[in-house]
Amino acid sequence: MQFDVVEPGVYPELIYPTYKSTVSRGPTQAPLRIRADAATNTNLFASPKLILPHDMDLTAQGKSAPLGEKIVVTGRVLDEDGKPVRNSLLEVWQCNAAGRYWHKRDQHDAPLDPNFTGLGKMLTDDNGRYRFVTIKPGPYPWGNHHKAWRPAHIHFSMFGNVYAQRLVTQMYFPNDPLFDYDPIFQSVPDAAARQRLIARFSLEETVDDKMLGYEFDIVLRGRHATPMES
Amino acid sequence: MTSKITTSQTIGPFPHEAWNWAVELTAKVDSAAPQITVKGCIFDGKGEPINDAWAEAWMPDSAALESAHAIPGYRRVPSGDDGGFTLQITQAQNVGDGKPAAYITVFARGLVKHQFTAIFLEDDPALAQSAILNQVPASRRDTLIARKQADGSYLWNINMQGAAETVFFDYI
Repeated sequence: MQFDVVEPGVYPELIYPTYKSTVSRGPTQAPLRIRADAATNTNLFASPKLILPHDMDLTAQGKSAPLGEKIVVTGRVLDEDGKPVRNSLLEVWQCNAAGRYWHKRDQHDAPLDPNFTGLGKMLTDDNGRYRFVTIKPGPYPWGNHHKAWRPAHIHFSMFGNVYAQRLVTQMYFPNDPLFDYDPIFQSVPDAAARQRLIARFSLEETVDDKMLGYEFDIVLRGRHATPMES
Repeated sequence: MTSKITTSQTIGPFPHEAWNWAVELTAKVDSAAPQITVKGCIFDGKGEPINDAWAEAWMPDSAALESAHAIPGYRRVPSGDDGGFTLQITQAQNVGDGKPAAYITVFARGLVKHQFTAIFLEDDPALAQSAILNQVPASRRDTLIARKQADGSYLWNINMQGAAETVFFDYI
């Protein structure tokens, strides 16, 4: 595949002082544009055997149903040509409805839910589509500054069809009042790029009286070389 | 038609439980091919170890030599409290032709976009002919070269900033 230069403002700023830990962790030099065929043409093989029962239903991993609002999240993973990224590994993780992660370092004074770890993984299908059932995550404080609260989000980790397509991002929910105050969301300069991180409510994906549906399409970098014009 | 890409966001401090399955599946190497160990630490711009970073390794030429693996040619390791990580690398037969021992992806809290880099071995006789290294300014190539230690392992640190800031790539 071929990887064009990303338009300015689309990626977050690697050093964005209002997100404090970027100051000493973000590289200061621009990434070096290089050719490496193996990076743009090969990838790990994601076997369907990696996906375990209930990996795609985060509400079915405990002894009983977790607390909170059950939702379904679905979308397509595409490349820059708009072509589906098929049979591609995708991981998701999130906090529970109270805003607490299943993680030993999370000290937020909100309850864990014994029936919800917030961990999932799946493969995209032949149309590049993924779909998982979960609980709507809560907002939570994170100590970056006074009254720092993250907007509710689900972490996505995508392996693409070639190595260089790897992407980790966060999906947000529509109309969150915390967007304007969140340095992680705001570290992306381009408003349209920020908007593309927000899932769309979908009545079509809503399942009867069981759960509301959200749609979140993901476009990975990379396109197939344009044929030479004759 | 060109679709607009989805931007990146940090992994944050809490991916461990979600990412651990692949750490466990890739920790034990089962291959008849030669093995090397690369050890290193990841440091921030103040020289402090980053204890919540992750490295993923992709070894395209080694995948066929690890066919018994759940994910051949791939490793995922978290950094420890001291910022340290260890990678077991299966050496493909074409090692010695200036190719990287592994393509590396780095993730961390406070890193808003993952970074691509690569490990080369200092005793690779073809290092001077490496197609990748030759695209890197000579003054920065050292940041990509792992140094052989007395015990036979290799040392390769990742520096996010500073005079020895690791070269990170954007593939064309």
